[in-house]
Amino acid sequence: MGQLHQIRLLYLRSFRQTLRNMIWVVVGVSTPILYLVLFTPLLKHLVGSAFATGQVLDIFLPGILALMAFIGAISQGYTTIFELRSGLIERLRVTPTSRFGLLISPILVNITFNFVFMAMVVIIAAPLGFHVHLVGLLVAFVLLCILSTGFAAFSIALALLTKDISSFAAPVNGINLPLMLLAGVLLPLTLAPAWIRVLAHIDPLYYAVEGARAAAGGKLSASAVWLAFAVLVPVTTLVLLWATRVYKKGVA
Amino acid sequence: MLTTLLPIDEGQALVAGYDVRTKPGEVRKRVGYVGQLGGADDLATGREDLLLQAQLHGMSLASAAERAAELADVLDLTAFIDRKVKTYSGGQRRRLDVALGIMHRPEVLFLDEPTTGLDPQNRANLWDQLRKLRDMGTTIFLTTHYLEEADALSDELAIMDHGVIVTRGTPRELKNEIAGDAVIIEPKDDGMALETIQDCLKSLSIVRDARREGETIRVYVDDGARSLPKIFTLLEAQGVSIESISLSRPSLDDVFLRETGRSLRDTDTAGKGA
Repeated sequence: MGQLHQIRLLYLRSFRQTLRNMIWVVVGVSTPILYLVLFTPLLKHLVGSAFATGQVLDIFLPGILALMAFIGAISQGYTTIFELRSGLIERLRVTPTSRFGLLISPILVNITFNFVFMAMVVIIAAPLGFHVHLVGLLVAFVLLCILSTGFAAFSIALALLTKDISSFAAPVNGINLPLMLLAGVLLPLTLAPAWIRVLAHIDPLYYAVEGARAAAGGKLSASAVWLAFAVLVPVTTLVLLWATRVYKKGVA
Repeated sequence: MLTTLLPIDEGQALVAGYDVRTKPGEVRKRVGYVGQLGGADDLATGREDLLLQAQLHGMSLASAAERAAELADVLDLTAFIDRKVKTYSGGQRRRLDVALGIMHRPEVLFLDEPTTGLDPQNRANLWDQLRKLRDMGTTIFLTTHYLEEADALSDELAIMDHGVIVTRGTPRELKNEIAGDAVIIEPKDDGMALETIQDCLKSLSIVRDARREGETIRVYVDDGARSLPKIFTLLEAQGVSIESISLSRPSLDDVFLRETGRSLRDTDTAGKGA
């Protein structure tokens, strides 16, 4: 049977399950909006009243979008742990389903929901003064899809390897904060000392944030944009290959 | 391992005619698997689970729906099949698990302790279903800790201890190897050490073997009814006071005890029946 057909079936399953977990949908969409509402005014004071709200949002909003993509992706493993515990993954692994299909389907669902949430955030931010550059936003979105595919595959593979919630959560929480701070998600790293700016270059999230910021601002030919693609495409490909391998090997 | 979940360390295994190591895809098409954990999706309804399972096995939606309705009937799922799985009782869930395992009409069905946690009525019900499946030509590979389950269900049985098959055969063959009867003696605590009593029983000519199991001693004799008085006389002469004494036909418990030197409830190994 075609792999695409299997992916479609598994995608629909994950999609339905996500919708049924309504609380997560609500949290997923309210968190970025809270950031916008509660954090933007703070940021405005910080950079000085010389900036208009719209300019603050232009810097801040792409970071929020990257944060949404990152958090959603790195949390995928929690679902995996839950499905391991219930035996669901074991059951699916005994069917003649492609291992790549098992891996990629929930990732695609995550991307779908991300797209909806991001669109909502942009729609809310636009009347507040955020400059919408449609093509630029689209490029930023593609970039963030690649980012979230990589981190989600990493998270799922880690969940399959650790198998229980506490040994999964510890490393994930451990890397969450440094990755986010190094990437300049909330505040641009231009405010940071030189050594942090150097260290940031080992953080894939950093390239995504910089790239998304440039792209969303309409600067599609900026070096930050192509650098982000140049880093994230190979990294994500490698992580996908590794995660598929983990799925293939014994994880019962 | 045989279900392709774990890599094979060494050797070769054929399931439904295909090598598990080199043709895992072919094996997966032909086997059904009911794991200890079940694997039904809590947030889905039973029917959704069944349809997905069948479609992943390449069935069309129409034939999957037909098969789901058929199995719902056979396994008595109809009343709750459109409710979410998280609302199911243990027995309902287990029946759905079995239905998931046989949706695609597998040639070989693996069941990992399918009746753990089921009440006696549900257990008997499931046993009936498994017998029906066997009669329809499915090879059933079942692991269990309950020796009476292995006894009741299996045509062929293997007892494993620490990962090694220690004996195999039909339940009848295995039990017949322990001919005669078992006399189970439970001495009073305050009396003689169990080892001493055991040795002294072994010295009796009618006793073929005596083994300790927990606080009791199982004595194997050819003819239980005739041996009882002699055993009584001996124990009395030795001054052993007895808490209880009983006579039974040998069960698979006795086979297990003989083969592994331990009672199953002292160990964490599994008996297997096929």
